[in-house]
Amino acid sequence: MKRIIIDREKCDGCLNCNVACISAHEEGSNFYTVNLGSVDSETRNFIKFDAKTGYTPIFCRHCDEPECVLSCMSGAMEKDPVTGHVKYDESKCAACYMCVMNCPFGVLKPDNKTRTKVIKCDFCEEKQDGPSCVKACPKQAIEVKEVSR
Amino acid sequence: MNSNFNCKTCASADQKLETFISNLSQETSHHRMEGQSVKCGFGLQGICCRLCSNGPCRITPNAQKGVCGATADTIVARNFLRAVSAGSGCYIHIVENTARLLKKTAESNGVLKGKQALAKLASLFEIDESDEHICAGKIADLVLADLYKPDYVKMELVEKMAYKPRFDRWKELGILPGGAKSEVFTGVVKTSTNLNSDPVDMYLNCLKLGISTGLYGLTLTNLLNDIMLGEPSIRLASVGLRVIDTDYINIMITGHQHAMFAYLQDRLIEDDVIAKAKAVGAKGFKLVGCTCVGQDLQLRGEHYQKIFNGHAGNNFTSEAILATGAIDAVLSEFNCTLPGIEPICDELKIKQICLDDVSKKANAEMKPFVFEEKENQSNEIIDSIIESYQTRRGEITLNMLPDHGNDDTLTGVSEGSLKSFLGGTWKPLIDLIVSGEIKGIAGIVGCSSLTAGGHDVLTVGLVKELIAKDILVLSAGCSSGGLENVGLMSPSAASLAGPKLRAVCESLGIPPVLNFGPCLAIGRLELVATELAEAIGIDLPQLPLVLSAPQWLEEQALADGAFGLALGLPLHLGLPPFVTGSPVAVQVFTQDMLNLTGGQLIIDDNAQSAANTLNEIIEKKRKELNI
Repeated sequence: MKRIIIDREKCDGCLNCNVACISAHEEGSNFYTVNLGSVDSETRNFIKFDAKTGYTPIFCRHCDEPECVLSCMSGAMEKDPVTGHVKYDESKCAACYMCVMNCPFGVLKPDNKTRTKVIKCDFCEEKQDGPSCVKACPKQAIEVKEVSR
Repeated sequence: MNSNFNCKTCASADQKLETFISNLSQETSHHRMEGQSVKCGFGLQGICCRLCSNGPCRITPNAQKGVCGATADTIVARNFLRAVSAGSGCYIHIVENTARLLKKTAESNGVLKGKQALAKLASLFEIDESDEHICAGKIADLVLADLYKPDYVKMELVEKMAYKPRFDRWKELGILPGGAKSEVFTGVVKTSTNLNSDPVDMYLNCLKLGISTGLYGLTLTNLLNDIMLGEPSIRLASVGLRVIDTDYINIMITGHQHAMFAYLQDRLIEDDVIAKAKAVGAKGFKLVGCTCVGQDLQLRGEHYQKIFNGHAGNNFTSEAILATGAIDAVLSEFNCTLPGIEPICDELKIKQICLDDVSKKANAEMKPFVFEEKENQSNEIIDSIIESYQTRRGEITLNMLPDHGNDDTLTGVSEGSLKSFLGGTWKPLIDLIVSGEIKGIAGIVGCSSLTAGGHDVLTVGLVKELIAKDILVLSAGCSSGGLENVGLMSPSAASLAGPKLRAVCESLGIPPVLNFGPCLAIGRLELVATELAEAIGIDLPQLPLVLSAPQWLEEQALADGAFGLALGLPLHLGLPPFVTGSPVAVQVFTQDMLNLTGGQLIIDDNAQSAANTLNEIIEKKRKELNI
């Protein structure tokens, strides 16, 4: 199973992973055209900065025991037994945000515009060459690695 | 996969060159593309600001203004105007040096090879002077006087050179430039920390810089050089890496200031210098063309057949040319002299000499060109190159590519030589356009880059699409280097053109892509366009003529582009010029410009769809002219 693994030592906080994520979820866009000037453009990953530890990339871990799935009452959050990825089905979501409250890494959030859905990493599953954020990182601070479970 | 490096070299439209580079033991730009393939999204959109210590600020969905309050529109406009100012400064530096050299040549009663160019400028500037040296001196004085005016005093030659309808429009818009050097200064000041924040004001300023860059940096540099070095005349020439003759001491030249080589290139074929070369086992000296100054030599090659062996390639071919091992020295005076040549020169013991400190290379010998000392300087340069030849040739293994390029590239095309070729009038060309035998004209200009598919990939792809649609291509810039090396400037390329253009080319024995030479020759294309419009009696935006800088590379290209937009021409670029993060910029360049100057920016990195768009524009303009 594949996961995005972070190496915070390498992160420069350039936010290119954010740009890539927004672009990957904005139809027909690329790095030149992706709309970065609107709060409606949402990134599914974050870079946290504090003076002591520097930059920390916050990415969905698609946990083995996902709190978001366990706390989801409507069945919108589901763990795929084959890929191990935690998937989100917007059509089933009741927007109760229990997943947001329970995510131990604070990576899930309600969408800015409508507050009716959750912004959640989908591992760019439709893209054959893997997650867009990883491809866009100039420092290889995030990598896709095969993990045992 | 490259056999010597852990990377893939990038693609090139020039297959032979691509294979040659991928097998090199030296690292080139083509190798470094892969390592630089991850790009910064904020940089690409132009929404990163480094103007103060609160930054760098970037526009993100959660931070839509910089700390100072600058919006994406302000940040993009500032970055863009800064780039255009720098690009303009580069060309103004070139024309300033060229005018100074003309003045000194005139004062010392030096050789003036281009009598027609002299007469043309004298008449344009209304100089009534029979002594050619005094006349040339006066021309140089007028140019220099304009360049050195403050920004609040308008340059006087603009009205004499510009097409009247254009001049009137520029006046209406308030974009007539003051002194060209001062305008660069103003552009830099405007865009400094917490100064101008009005994007529209800054884009109008870009147009102003475009005018001073185009008329002085481009058009006048060509004509002043023509006076000193001779006018272009049409001929067939050899191009590509095949032009390097290992029996000679080879000097690769890079830059944009042809006049700086004027004395040296004549000196290199004098008997005593040839004797020196023979004494060390060479047949003599040869200049190998690279970058735009190589294109300039190729363009005027008729006058330099003995010393100039041909144009080997464009900016991103320079490393490969050196890697052959057969170049003994690099003489550079401006860009595009890549830093990437330095380690190759070190490894292959190639002497590097810089004639102008603006392009000083880290490991090169600095020898600032001084007109009064040119005799001594040239002798010293010759001696040091001979020394380089002696120490290196015995021990460096040569890696030649003799089947690269061709021997039948049509070159020497200029506003003057083309008109003469047509019988001294533009009428035959206008008739062909009116009858539809030639649907329209595309000026393919600007640089070569390694983006948009790879080295010259979009340029070559787009040109093939355009000629197939019966659109005649005129080229100027490093794009010419790529186009000629793949054979598109050989008469046989007519077979790639659409049936109508093909018939025209075959009956005249010309290729469908006409080579005007260096990027400076964008100024020559402007002269052609203006003369055509004048002959027909219309303004430039009405002509079925489009511009494209498919693989623009640098700040100078952006200043050229500003000139194209000021002229009111549709301008295609393969990749956006770092402005797409600003809705105002996109609106101004792609829509509002049509109402301002008649120009329009088109961004498309796909050869086919870009050609379709340009074709539609040409057809629309034809319809509006009822042809």
